[in-house]
Amino acid sequence: MRGLEKATLRDAGIVVVLSVLAALSFNTLRGAGSIPLVAREAYRILVPCPEPVGEVELILASEVRWGGARELVLDARLVQERRVWATDQALHVPFDFLEPVSDETLAELVASNAARVVVFGDGLVPDSGHELARELAGRGMVNVFSVEGGWPAVRAALEPGNGELQP
Amino acid sequence: MSRYTAWRGHAWLALPLRLYLGGVFLLACSHKILHPSSFALDVATYQLLPLELINLQALVLPWVELLTGLMLVLAFRTRAAALLINAMMVMFIVALVWALLQGLDMGCGCFASEGGDDPISWRTIVRDSIWLAMGLYIQIFDRRPLGLDRLFMRRNDA
Repeated sequence: MRGLEKATLRDAGIVVVLSVLAALSFNTLRGAGSIPLVAREAYRILVPCPEPVGEVELILASEVRWGGARELVLDARLVQERRVWATDQALHVPFDFLEPVSDETLAELVASNAARVVVFGDGLVPDSGHELARELAGRGMVNVFSVEGGWPAVRAALEPGNGELQP
Repeated sequence: MSRYTAWRGHAWLALPLRLYLGGVFLLACSHKILHPSSFALDVATYQLLPLELINLQALVLPWVELLTGLMLVLAFRTRAAALLINAMMVMFIVALVWALLQGLDMGCGCFASEGGDDPISWRTIVRDSIWLAMGLYIQIFDRRPLGLDRLFMRRNDA
């Protein structure tokens, strides 16, 4: 190896050593804001991978055929959200922004042989019901609709005396 | 030294490249040095390194960027600085290609924890490849860089 290359490698090595020393010193001296040299637990990283989602149509809660033989209504809200109000006319399939619907659940929904799948959610922006409907449509289900306004609209349709609530 | 590398004009051609590349690295390191935890998260997001090495890399890499950036701007031990910068660029490009092939939809983390504001793409790889080409030019052709190195060479010659 020629002298110039040797000197370059030596200098590069010195820079790396100096960087390590500076990094460790700075990290030790800074107190708050320093990080351990070795992470104690795995980082909770959220990397959204492209999930297949389809487009679904919005319908009004009054257009849902409640009790219809081939109408499958899904409640996409979380368990704690359903404590406020829930209807036994809807199947509970909670939507999770991180976890896709399991294959088993999807198979059950397909096996229901429903002509139309209607989903309602929390009525927020984004609406969990609409997101679940898009996920189901993206995974091959057809005739999937989401209820505009979410559960407050559904409640108002099923229990007209209560009026429509804000989500 | 071949007549291609011996040409005196290289120093003048390399000068703007050196200042630009050095500036890029100085710009890139500041946020990472001040916010190592968010940079560590950026490193972790690439899912390339084992957990044991993530924090070490997040702590040391910005300091290498700082020192090499300064060295390039000042033309001090220029070839060593360029060598390290080229090594880092190769590392970044490999990480980016890996992330894109995995289909990860994430921020680059190159200059700050930008989240989705600066999402990685093939354009990011083209940009880094251009920077790598600049670094290689400096490393190979800038034998008498305009700056401290030339000053020391003159003293040694005298």
